[in-house]
Amino acid sequence: MSMTDVVGILVTTITLGSIYGLVAIGMTLIYGTLRILDMSQGSMVMAGSFIAWGVMAVAGWNPVIAILLAFAGTFVLGTLTQLVSVQPLLSRRNVVDFEMITFITTFAVALVFTNVALQVFGPYQKNVTPVISGGINIYNGVNLSYQALTMALVSVALMVGLGVFLARTRWGMAIRAVAQDLDAARLMGIPIGKLYPLTMGLASALAGIGGVFLGGLYFASPQAGDLPLLEALIVVIFGGLGSLPGTIYAAYAIGLIQGTAEIFVGTTWSLPILYGVILIVLIARPHGLLGKPAEARL
Amino acid sequence: MLEVTGLRAGYRDTTVIRDLSLAVTAGEVAVLVGPNGHGKTTLLRAISGLAKPAAGRVLLDGEEVQGWPPERVSLRGLVHVPQGDGLFPEMTVEENLLMGAFPAASWRGRRKELARVYDLFPRVRAMSGQRARTLSGGERRLTALGRALVRPTKIMLIDEPSLGLAPVAIDAVYAAIADLKAAGTTILLVEENFTHVGGIADTVHVLEMGAIVRTGGFEDLSQDESVVETYLGRLT
Repeated sequence: MSMTDVVGILVTTITLGSIYGLVAIGMTLIYGTLRILDMSQGSMVMAGSFIAWGVMAVAGWNPVIAILLAFAGTFVLGTLTQLVSVQPLLSRRNVVDFEMITFITTFAVALVFTNVALQVFGPYQKNVTPVISGGINIYNGVNLSYQALTMALVSVALMVGLGVFLARTRWGMAIRAVAQDLDAARLMGIPIGKLYPLTMGLASALAGIGGVFLGGLYFASPQAGDLPLLEALIVVIFGGLGSLPGTIYAAYAIGLIQGTAEIFVGTTWSLPILYGVILIVLIARPHGLLGKPAEARL
Repeated sequence: MLEVTGLRAGYRDTTVIRDLSLAVTAGEVAVLVGPNGHGKTTLLRAISGLAKPAAGRVLLDGEEVQGWPPERVSLRGLVHVPQGDGLFPEMTVEENLLMGAFPAASWRGRRKELARVYDLFPRVRAMSGQRARTLSGGERRLTALGRALVRPTKIMLIDEPSLGLAPVAIDAVYAAIADLKAAGTTILLVEENFTHVGGIADTVHVLEMGAIVRTGGFEDLSQDESVVETYLGRLT
């Protein structure tokens, strides 16, 4: 293995891992508090990429505005999604198969989003202006685009920010409390009727920002969220459902496996190898890297 | 302070609490004793909102709160220390106490409130950095009591404070409850028998099959052979 290979693998690990982490961490947050797999998270990536397209490619505004608008827009979308597809079922969560039903209801909302996007924007891919263009040759032909670098930096900053929010602030701690003991959290006066929509809004906003960057790397289209959703699902299950550190480790582990496979066996086989490794890990550890049996905690 | 009338509560097809009435006045420590499975925990859960009563009224300071979600009842100054303590296991002791200060008004003064609780329970201060899941049973219960005191409290409901604790830990927990009583806290406490509540009970209610069958002073009831024999089994 040459030095060039090592640098190449590192670049892929950090850029891919960061964006996987950013998109997946919201799913973990939602699973940890609400015990649901939110299938609408891919739609938030899609919405974020369309907002980025509208702000930067159509209106020609600054990428910072795109990021802020994507955050706000997908926050609202995520909150509404929760109110429509999850909140009405909450009072019956012990009576119905809550996890399976919300899996379907959030998926239904995602399909609606996809079709609205199809109606409004048409089926064609839109090129999203990269947040920043150019790149640097960091070592012997290994190229790092500024877009990927910015994406990694913003993702890491947002994940650290989320960590601080959860560790130190009143509402962040309340989210953890709800994840760890719902009854006790309610006895403390934590209003879950507000906290749940806010949590899903926040998670969606992180995915929305992910969409701004992924849109720049690929493009905006009604299906732009499908692959990120699948990847996020794999990351959260690989990391252990409901575990935030597990999600972050899993995101970078997947980036590392994919980067290594790309360099040594080529792009064609990188995904089969990745899924093979995940399969083996899950057979050995069915609850994922850091998951706990029968419980999930933030 | 707290007035329960004609309360009926239970789980899907089973009624556990049958038309129960009970009043706790301000500054009073009321103790409800009764065997396991007769509805002590269900009663507390129905009062605090964790369980929805099927019928009856719960008045807190004259306001009807039955059927409210627990977070709303909690903001009216009712604190429920549930069975199993309800600590947040992955949080530190201090973070657990901070959650007690969740209401906006308490959150602003949280440092002062925390210091006050630490002064009251120095043992809780000593373990403030420890994760709740690493605590012993007695430490958990003291932390849960401390957390209940971080905010202004009208009435505390305490579910079997002696449950599962070693004798020395029970003494520490009841010493803490005696301190609360001395400070004038209104308390509704449930226990399985009279063993530990002698020093603190102003009024004792005996619960059987979901209804209150006797009410009186501690001395009267704990000396009453028929009460002890019929409902609780002989003290040893």
